[in-house]
Amino acid sequence: MSRFYARGSDSETESSSEDEAPITKPTIQPTVYLSEDEEEQTSKRIVRSARDKRFEEMYTLVRKIKNFRKNNDMSNILDCYEDLTKAHQKALPIILKEEKGATPSFYLRILAQLELYVNQQWENKKTMSKINSKSLATLRQKLRKYNKDFEEDLAKYRENPELLDEDDEEEEKEVDEDDDESDSEPEVKEKKPKKESTKKVAKTDGDDESDDSYWGSDSDESSSSSDETEYTDLRQRFLKKAGEGEQEESKTKKQKEREQRKKDLAKSKLDKEQEDEDELGTWEVVKGGVQAERPKMFQKDQEINTPVVMKKLVEITAVRGKKGTDRKEQIELLVELESVAKEANLGSAVAVKIGFAIIAAIFDYSLKVHEIQKVQYWMKLLDKVNEILSLSISTKDHLTIDENVAEDSEELDKAPYKVRGCLMTVFERLDEEFLKVLKELDSHSFEYLERVQDEKKICEMLDRLLAYLESTHLVNDKGVMCRAYYKKIEHMYYKFDVRVLKKKRGEFKGDTSVDDMQRLAGYVYAKDTTDRLRTRAILCHIYHHAMHDNWFEARDLILMSHLQEVIHHSDPATQIMYNRAMVQLGICAFRHENIQDAHNALTDLMMSGRVKELLAQGLMPQHRHDRSPEQEKIERSRQVPFHMQLNLDVIECVYLASAMLIEVPYLAEHEFDAKRRPISKTFYHQLRTLEKQSLTGPPESMREHVVAAARAMKKGDWQKCYNCLVNEKMDKKVWHCFAIYEYTKNEEKIGVKEMLRRKIREESLRTYLFTYSHVYDSISLPRLAGMYDMEYAQVHSVVAKMIINQELMASMDEPSKTIVLHRTEPTRLQSVLLQVSDKINILRETSDRNFETKIQGGPGTMGPGGKGRQFNRMDWKNRRNQNQNRGGQHNRGDRGDRNNDRGDRNNDRGDRGDRGDRGDRYDRNRGNRDRDDDQQRKQAVEQ
Amino acid sequence: MAQYDLTGKNGQYLDRHLVAPLLEFLVAQNIYSANDVLQSKLALLTETKMVDYAIDVFKKLHADQEVPQKFLDKRQKVVEDYKAVQETSKSIQQILEDPGLAEQISNSRDYRQLVEYLVKNHDFKPERIDSIYDDAKLYYECGDYQTASQLLNLHNELVPTTDKNYLSGLWGKLACNILLHQWDYGMEDFEKLKTYIDEDPFRNSLQTLQQRTWLLHWGLYLYFNHAKGWDFLLDLLSNNAKYLNVIQTTCPHILRYWATAVIISKHNRHSTAMKELVQVIQQESYTYKDPITEFIECLHVNFDFDGAQKKLKECETVLSNDFFLISCYNEFIDHARLMIFETFCRIHQCISIGMLAEKLDMTTDDAERWIVNLIRNARLDAKLDSKLGHVVMGVHAVSPYQQIIGKTEFLSMRSQILANSVARKLGDKSTYVRM
Repeated sequence: MSRFYARGSDSETESSSEDEAPITKPTIQPTVYLSEDEEEQTSKRIVRSARDKRFEEMYTLVRKIKNFRKNNDMSNILDCYEDLTKAHQKALPIILKEEKGATPSFYLRILAQLELYVNQQWENKKTMSKINSKSLATLRQKLRKYNKDFEEDLAKYRENPELLDEDDEEEEKEVDEDDDESDSEPEVKEKKPKKESTKKVAKTDGDDESDDSYWGSDSDESSSSSDETEYTDLRQRFLKKAGEGEQEESKTKKQKEREQRKKDLAKSKLDKEQEDEDELGTWEVVKGGVQAERPKMFQKDQEINTPVVMKKLVEITAVRGKKGTDRKEQIELLVELESVAKEANLGSAVAVKIGFAIIAAIFDYSLKVHEIQKVQYWMKLLDKVNEILSLSISTKDHLTIDENVAEDSEELDKAPYKVRGCLMTVFERLDEEFLKVLKELDSHSFEYLERVQDEKKICEMLDRLLAYLESTHLVNDKGVMCRAYYKKIEHMYYKFDVRVLKKKRGEFKGDTSVDDMQRLAGYVYAKDTTDRLRTRAILCHIYHHAMHDNWFEARDLILMSHLQEVIHHSDPATQIMYNRAMVQLGICAFRHENIQDAHNALTDLMMSGRVKELLAQGLMPQHRHDRSPEQEKIERSRQVPFHMQLNLDVIECVYLASAMLIEVPYLAEHEFDAKRRPISKTFYHQLRTLEKQSLTGPPESMREHVVAAARAMKKGDWQKCYNCLVNEKMDKKVWHCFAIYEYTKNEEKIGVKEMLRRKIREESLRTYLFTYSHVYDSISLPRLAGMYDMEYAQVHSVVAKMIINQELMASMDEPSKTIVLHRTEPTRLQSVLLQVSDKINILRETSDRNFETKIQGGPGTMGPGGKGRQFNRMDWKNRRNQNQNRGGQHNRGDRGDRNNDRGDRNNDRGDRGDRGDRGDRYDRNRGNRDRDDDQQRKQAVEQ
Repeated sequence: MAQYDLTGKNGQYLDRHLVAPLLEFLVAQNIYSANDVLQSKLALLTETKMVDYAIDVFKKLHADQEVPQKFLDKRQKVVEDYKAVQETSKSIQQILEDPGLAEQISNSRDYRQLVEYLVKNHDFKPERIDSIYDDAKLYYECGDYQTASQLLNLHNELVPTTDKNYLSGLWGKLACNILLHQWDYGMEDFEKLKTYIDEDPFRNSLQTLQQRTWLLHWGLYLYFNHAKGWDFLLDLLSNNAKYLNVIQTTCPHILRYWATAVIISKHNRHSTAMKELVQVIQQESYTYKDPITEFIECLHVNFDFDGAQKKLKECETVLSNDFFLISCYNEFIDHARLMIFETFCRIHQCISIGMLAEKLDMTTDDAERWIVNLIRNARLDAKLDSKLGHVVMGVHAVSPYQQIIGKTEFLSMRSQILANSVARKLGDKSTYVRM
């Protein structure tokens, strides 16, 4: 509030002392206002304690109140009083610290005096103007309320006013002196208002409704009160300004100064323009005159210094966010201000401060701006942030940028500078803006390509920012560092680093992005306190590992984090990230021949049928319920930019291929099984639709290729199956994405195609054995090996596994190297009988369950809440049955105890609980059905 | 052979005193140079108060050098401490010698009662409790495990489970009992520790993890020395996600001991344990691998009998060089062979004895004798065809009739029950309606 005054007064003191130790005057500005220049320059060196500053503020207000009291200007008193209480509030921490909580006596005194005064005035309230009387009433009320807090102290004061007065004698004197001074220094007085007026002009032309606290009271005043009072008010202030310094000055010094001023004044008079200004006389006129003019930054020859610039800055930014603000103009004004500041060489702190303001203004602007123009502003923004970053890096030794610097403890004038602000936040917003810009552009256009190149710039900036943060005190701020590292992770995780694969093959040594990732993510895991950042960092980490073929690391990370269980509670953005990570994980598992894991990782996503939407790579047209425009907007804003998107064809192909490798042998095994259930519904559906077609042409799309492959596999024709899956067309569509992982080692190709070839052979062999075993009595193993182009040992291993798992009722004859099949396949009659017995069992189960429902739903438990409970319990029971059924369905014979790791998905650590889910859903349906039955029966009973 | 040596890994999680026997064993094995082992042993002992032992080792290591003064100084000091403690703990010794004490301990409801009793009968000062623990520690460090164990026993009875020294006391007792080869008592301590840790008094998963890791490692002495140790290890790990997690996160090398325990376990629990084990081994195959786990992988995942055979040979050396496993070497080999054979039999219906002998690493005659024994003991449904030199397995296919019978035999019983309950239900309802 009182910054200006305070500085003015102090500078006076300083200027006087300067005479003793003159400082080199800046030579940059040959200005006529030498004296003021001096004043302001020197004022930079003042160090005041926080206490002084606060108290100063309060003193000023006290004085103001006293002055207004003389004029009986109630509304102003009320304003000042409110400001005063606020100032006191602000000063409280300091009071507590330095004064041991004792309310300053001058404050008490003014409260007491005000109370007295108000009570006096209350009596002649009727004579007052309407505004005044209203203000008086408010003031009285407020005062009564407020004074209650200080009851004790006030009582003490009233009893013994002198005691407290003594403490403040000095202050009192000061005020008195003010008055004296006003008479004795007419020259100064005369000059001051003028100076003030120029500033005022500069100020008011920006905007009239500036809510700058300093001027706020003034402008209100000018509108509400008479010119006279305003004048007095100002007069008082100016007097004060001069007067305060007076206190400490010796007469001679003052004299000297006055002389100097006179000289200056004379000098200034040479300046014609200034003279004109002078001639304009009272400053109301000036104000009126300038308002009509085009807004200008400063008067041409006005002194440019830190406080002035800062004031201007505050003034410009004050309108931020208000209706009808021209954001564009604001940016222009700020840029102009910046150039002015630069010319005046006001130091890096001011530049940084203004820089922050400009960036904020551009952010504001880009909200409104049209898409096409956005790019333009984006460039500006990028440059600006880059600039400010360079500036803060180059001055990091004496410039502190911190969020925690309070607005009024900023230090702009001298080193060590302190500026409020956070580069990290700015950068985060910049990044957001970047994504927005990218999303606006057509992802196939040239512009997009051009913009994506900015990513490199951003990454460079991020690196510099990190280096900067690490070298300042902020390195201890875990929150900021976590955010910074997370940003870095976010920019890194989706980028492929070839060195990682080279390193794995021993072709490269040194740190790769995986190592960097480990380091950064490690920090976030350890230090982060907001769960969100950690979760996201883990997901990025998983994605990165999976992309670089680190299957085990990625798997362990997802399993240890237990994210699968809690991800449903997180925000959509994180869920999208989770989906992306799962996709990478699935593809990675596929490359590593873990078909089951690949299938499990992808199945949730693929079963939903909304892959595009779940990966935020495009909106799906919704038929049933149209989303509202807002919803669409939100969804659009979540989209992943094109260069980060995953190839949907690859995902689907990997999913279908793994589903094929699991499903086809399973179908063959359970051809006549009543309880058979498709493992992958999507795949099963595809297969069925193709089979229904009376005429099948050669495969065209990726899906058709996979389904054709599956059909070939069903017949056990591995060669055809492989050719359907891996051919030129599919290479172009899908497999080229895996080319980077392929390599040759010891003249042996290792890669996804080889894996597929191996896997297809194996699964085809299994399918073949399942399908055709009933036409054989014995099969020669070497012949099988020949058919499937496999080694004898491999065939042996596959067959042995099937025998052990009792999938194949056979045993091997070692001397003749054949599989001897046991004729256990039931005859037609027998198999029908078996089916009947199965069905009877199902019937029994249902009736058991129905009965149990009956019991629980019986008269004893038919309370109001009974229904839900009963339902839950039944649900649970069903699930158990369900699991039993599942288990049973694998065991064809009666002998249990099979370590079938293929079919036994329950124990799979990577199992994403899809089985539980599905069981759940199934149960729910069942439960509903049961309940319906139950109700029907109940109705029947009632009837 | 050094690549399969786990002393270094195990040693991280063991007490100094517990590592000493390991090192002693290593000296005899000639895997590392004797000097290196002695050197590390010396380093180990200098930190304890077993100065005489350390001096011995030093002399062995530097036969030509004088014993450094610092050892002698330390010895002096330790002896003094020891004597002082002996003096002060006389009263405690008296308490311990009291024949009524054991009875009193078992009769007292809780520690307070016991403390009261001691105060009344033995002029015991309750504030001495902490010093009992300190004394025990000194005894332990000096190598007097017997006394330390006695004192710790008393101490543990006298303090609540929330006492700051309670947990350390338990660990101390376990160590003492291990070093004294009191496996039964050790087992008790082990159980106590396990329940204590399972109650999760630390509220800190890292610490719990650490404690569990230690427990698993310290337990190694028990698993392979106690008569029922293997079963004990299996109990600990089967279906116990807590300890499986520990293995997976901190010490996958424990898999070796688990695998061994599973292989030599009794037949009836063999298959379920094996299933679990195979899974964990597969999951952790990238962090830990040794011939024993690879043997299991070959046999149960890949059905690669030649590979299994090769691995079994490697296992022999691993086993004979492992401090804990050397005691069950023969059992392991027998069981492993049997495992190979059994799996083989389940797959084949006809095997030539010559091939079998090769797979089992025996001569043909031995193999034949071995099989004959198995058949005689009714563990194998098979016949020998000596003309061709084959073993012919009995076929045990399930006939569809049997399947149908199996599926339907309980139906009548179930419907009976259902009918009964419906009848009862109806009766209920009618009474309800009447009311």
